[in-house]
This record gives sequence, structure tokens and C-alpha cells, in this order.
Amino acid sequence: MSDKTIAVKTENLWKTYEHDGIEVHAVRDVSLTINSGEFVALAGPSGSGKTTLLNLIGTLTRSTQGKVWIAGRDVTNEPEGVLARLRLQSIGFVFQAYNLLPILTAAENAELSLLLQGMDPAERRQRVLDLFGRIGLNGLEDRKPNKLSGGQQQRVAVARAVVGEPAMVLADEPTANLDSHASDELLDVMEELNRDLGVTFVFATHDPRLMERAHRIVHIVDGAVASDEVKTVQNA
Amino acid sequence: MPFGLLIKLALRNLRRQMRRSILTAAAMIIGLALLVFSLALAEGSHQDWIKGGSRMASGHITIQAPDFLRTKKIRHHLDVSQTESVRRMLEDTTLTDIIEAASPRLTILGLANSPANALPVLVLGVDHRIEPFFSQLNEKVVEGRYLEEGDRLQAFVGKTLAERLRLDIGSRFVLTAQDASGEMAGQLMRVVGIFSLGLPSADQGMIHIPITTAQSWLGLEESVTSFDILLESTEAEEVAMATLGALEETDGVDVIGWRESLPELNSAVAMDNFGNYIFHGILFAIITLAIVNTVLMSVLQRVREFGVLRALGLRRREAGMMVFFEGMLLTVLSGGIGITLGIGLTWGLFRNGLDFTALMDTDFSAAGTIISPIIVPQFTAGQIIAAVLSIVTIGALSSIYPAYRATKIDVAESMKFET
Ligand SMILES: Nc1ncnc2c1ncn2[C@@H]1O[C@H](COP(=O)(O)OP(=O)(O)OP(=O)(O)O)[C@@H](O)[C@H]1O
Ligand SMILES: [Mg+2]
Repeated sequence: MSDKTIAVKTENLWKTYEHDGIEVHAVRDVSLTINSGEFVALAGPSGSGKTTLLNLIGTLTRSTQGKVWIAGRDVTNEPEGVLARLRLQSIGFVFQAYNLLPILTAAENAELSLLLQGMDPAERRQRVLDLFGRIGLNGLEDRKPNKLSGGQQQRVAVARAVVGEPAMVLADEPTANLDSHASDELLDVMEELNRDLGVTFVFATHDPRLMERAHRIVHIVDGAVASDEVKTVQNA
Repeated sequence: MPFGLLIKLALRNLRRQMRRSILTAAAMIIGLALLVFSLALAEGSHQDWIKGGSRMASGHITIQAPDFLRTKKIRHHLDVSQTESVRRMLEDTTLTDIIEAASPRLTILGLANSPANALPVLVLGVDHRIEPFFSQLNEKVVEGRYLEEGDRLQAFVGKTLAERLRLDIGSRFVLTAQDASGEMAGQLMRVVGIFSLGLPSADQGMIHIPITTAQSWLGLEESVTSFDILLESTEAEEVAMATLGALEETDGVDVIGWRESLPELNSAVAMDNFGNYIFHGILFAIITLAIVNTVLMSVLQRVREFGVLRALGLRRREAGMMVFFEGMLLTVLSGGIGITLGIGLTWGLFRNGLDFTALMDTDFSAAGTIISPIIVPQFTAGQIIAAVLSIVTIGALSSIYPAYRATKIDVAESMKFET
């Protein structure tokens, strides 16, 4: 496994908040390595620190202690502007509440990071069309988010996250707002993108369906890694 | 962040909050239209005051011997060669196009003596062919007539003055004043006409007499004390001053603009401008607050969206730019409409003047000028520049704080916000 590239690595990562003088360790000494192409679930009860860990990995929050590498690069002390650039190029995000921009169409939302990168319109459009075809959003390109179902919106969000071919996609409870059917569809899409395009996915979840389909489950309890289990049996 | 994306996001965001955008735009449109209108009205009335004031006094520009403005002594007159130079200069075509009337005058402080009374007077030795285009006193006759060709001892006298001296048409009286050599000299005159201008200072103390009579009375040959110049429009002042200014070098005369020769009028205009600045300042403050409110609300309502954009890779600075641009776009678009509307409406409705007669009972005079009850709005490039600058200033002032707030949004925190 040593030839695999590392998508993200953390070393003795801590995130401590203060509440009325009492320290809360939302993330406690987490050392974790996730390789490119993995399909990992961060599982744990509410308040265990999943979101905080995901935000640290995604460079949205700075650690109190410890280091973070993304695609081999130490980003721990990079300034905000550099991190923004890095996120644009290397990290995709999917949120629980979809968080599409209501003023943009599905396709425009999906191509947002390409727009921000200033990619040529024709190439941009082609990428989005290919992606929409792959994830079952054909014909919905010009719809505004409020004219899409939750499942469709979340698939657009997935498209938005993967369109820039990032080193990894971080998804915080991506299925929490979806019914079981839509959840399954979304998981199918993500699994397919992982299998066919090698997109690295890291989820925070307490949805058993999601955990079931993850290839690796990292259990978080009280901000610390309680277990890290790689499933050996996988259907191809 | 590409500019195209910036525009697209700004426009769509403004459109999303259509009602709010329109309400804010309306404030801006009305405000700017009002600004343009009030600037044009102020300019129009100022030009009217200035022209009216200049007409009644020594014109927009007066050319005199040094010290005459201060001393008003006849011995500080333009000599024959200076008079000739000025006459030649006035034939310059750049000047003939912008000058309405250039009147050679002998301005004399003297005393009018009648059997009934002796009163201080301002005697103007004038060219009766030019004065109808300058002071237009010939239109203010209440009895008799204005000066004519061939007049010698005829005098045209203010109504109040005539009453106080108990003079009628045909009455004789004596004018006395210091002549060129400083001696007292007297001149017998006969009333040929009486005028009423509505301007107390003129009606109480002004007399027009033929300039040739004045010259021989005071021993001045062809000399005058001033050439008073009335321009077609106040705007031409700069060009005229520049051209005539050359005479200061070549002939040692003073070329004096109305601001200096009519200081009361100048301060009246300045006072009025000051009042307008305050009014516009209040107007701007209100508009700016309205726009700050709109732009800030739109930021606070989109905290989560900004969080998402930042997560996707938008920099703090770019988030700020988005907001700033949005505020600017709203301001500039609506401000532009406001200016256009202001010019259009002002010109369309009031091009021939606004009649304030109902608000003024009779001729109203102030700072030595009769203020016309009809104000014709005037546009100048300066006003448009001022209006455009105020749009940009309002836009910048009202967008800067909301933009700053947008840069301060914390991504992780923003995700906790409910949509
Ligand atoms: N900004 C913050 N300030 C203070 N404490 C915080 C902050 N963010 C998170 N915490 C605390 O850190 C701990 C972990 O929170 P976190 O949101 O990461 O949990 P989670 O596993 O994502 O929970 P959930 O499943 O409910 O989303 C909690 O005790 C929470 O109260
Ligand atoms: Mg969470």
C-alpha cells in the first residue's frame, strides 16, 4: 500500500474550544491517514467531533495543536488566502443541507469551482454535462435548486464537489436530509464516482446505511479515534 | 475571481431580492433626480442673480484704472491710450461672440442740488446707444424718456431721487463732483426722464447722463472710468477674463470680475451654495443609510452562502469584493437612472423656467440685484460630474461596511446557520 498517494494526513491533531472557562476537546489527538481513492466514513454519535475533524481536514478550521497535510503538503500554517486556493483546487465539499446557491441553475452550481478557477466556458460545460449524465441529472441542467428534489439537489452538490477533480471530497452527513430511497441513489452515485473515477470520499455520518457501504470506518468517540476498521470484503 | 462571475452573481442576487432592490433603487433614483434638479435650479437662479446683478452694476467684468475700484476718484480714470487699447481688444472675435454689451462709462460720485434739497448721487456718464442692451434702464421709464442722440444736458433720474429733489420733467438741477484735477466742478442738467427700477439704491440715487457731457464737465476728453462688460452667459466668464486679462500686462489696467466688483452678490451665491450643500448632505446621508441597510441585510441573510463559497475556494477578499460590487452596481445603475431622469424631467418640464411668482408678492431684490420670479434651470458639466461623483461616493460609502462584514464570515460557523 505504500505506493498509494496520500489524500490527507493528520498528526496528533487537537481542536479545543472553551466554554465559560471549561475546555472542550472537540478533536483529541487524532492521527489519521487517508489515501487517494478511499471511501471512508467517520462515524460517531452526535457531538463526538466528526464535523470538527472534517473542518480541520478541509482547512475550514485551524487546529489547536497538530498538523495537517493535504496531498503531501503541510497546510497547518498556511495563510487563509493560500488555503482558499488549495480548497478550490484540491478539496470538494458536500453539506448536509445541500447548500446550492439559489440564484444559480443546477449546471451553474455544479460548475462553480470551475467558474472560480476561470476555466474556459466550453470545457466547463462539457465537464458538467458528462458528470450530469453519469449521475442521472440529465435534462436538469437549467433548473434552479428550488425546482429540484432533495436527492437531486444533493447530487448536484456532489457534482459541484467532484467537478474540479479534487484530491478528496468531504461530506458532512450527506444523507441526513434524504429519505432512504434518495440516500441509496446518492450512495450509488458516490460509490460509482469512487470506483470509476477514483474520487476520494470522506463522510461524517451516523447513518448505518452509509457506514455499511463505506470501505473503511473510523469511529470517533469524544473527539478521539476509537477504532479504524478497513473492510476487506468488497464487491467489485 | 473572474469579473464575469462577479457581475453575474451580483445581478442575480439583486434580482433575487427584487422588491428590496427596487425600493432601494427608487430611493437612489429619486435622490439623484432631486439632486440634479436642485443643482440645475440653483445654477439657473445664480446665473440669473449674477446676470441681473451685473446688469445693474458694472457687468460681469469691468476694466478700470488701478485704484478706481477702491477710491472711486475720477483722477483714477483710464487715459486716452488705455481707452483706445480696450476698444480695440473688444473687437476681438472671441469676445464679440460672448459679450452681450460692453459699455464705456464714467462713474461719478457727486451731489445733486435742487432748490428743494441736496443729495448724494451716483452719476453714470453713458452711451445711450449701448445702455439699452446693458442696464436696460430705457425699459423702466415712468415719465418722459431715456437719453437720445443729440442730448447734452438731459438727465435720466431715479424716481425716489426725483421726488426728494422735487424734480419733474424739464426741471433743472446742478450736479457737482471733483473733476480730474481734484477741483470741484458743477454742471447744470435738465430732467428728461424718470425711471423706477424697484431697486431702492438705484431709484434713490442714480442718474444717467450722456458720457460726452460728463467728459467735458470733468475735463476728461475721450477718457472713461471703466468699460463694463455684460456677457451672454456667466459661463463665458473664464474665457473672457483670460482674453481681457492680457490688457493688465500691456496697458496696466485692472480687469475685475464680478466676484470682486460685486462682493455682496458673491457672498449671496456662496451662502446659497452652502445651504444647498447642507441639504444635499442630508439627502445623501439618508440615501446612504438606506443602501447600507439593504446591502448589509443581503449579506446577513446570505451568511451560509458566503460560507459555502468560501469553502469552495472563494477568498475573504473576494467575498468582500462580491458585496462591494453588488452595492456599487445597485448604486451606479440606479444613480445613473436618477441622473438621466433628473435631466430629462428638469429639461422636459421646466426648460422654459419655473414660475415662483405665486411665492413672491412683488419684485424681490437682494444683494443689489432684482431676483426674477421665474427660474430657468441650467445644466453645467460641473453639476453632472458632481452628481456622478456623489453616486460613486454613496456607492462606496454604503458598500464598504457590508463588504467588510462579508470578509469576516467564519466558514465553519456559517454552516450552523439555518437557511
Ligand atoms: N464553534 C464551537 N465552539 C465551541 N464548541 C464547539 C464548536 N464547534 C463544536 N463545538 C463542540 O465540539 C464538540 C464536537 O462537535 P461537532 O459538531 O464536531 O460534533 P459532531 O460529531 O459533528 O456532532 P453531530 O453529529 O451532532 O453533527 C461538541 O461538544 C460541540 O459542542
Ligand atoms: Mg456534525
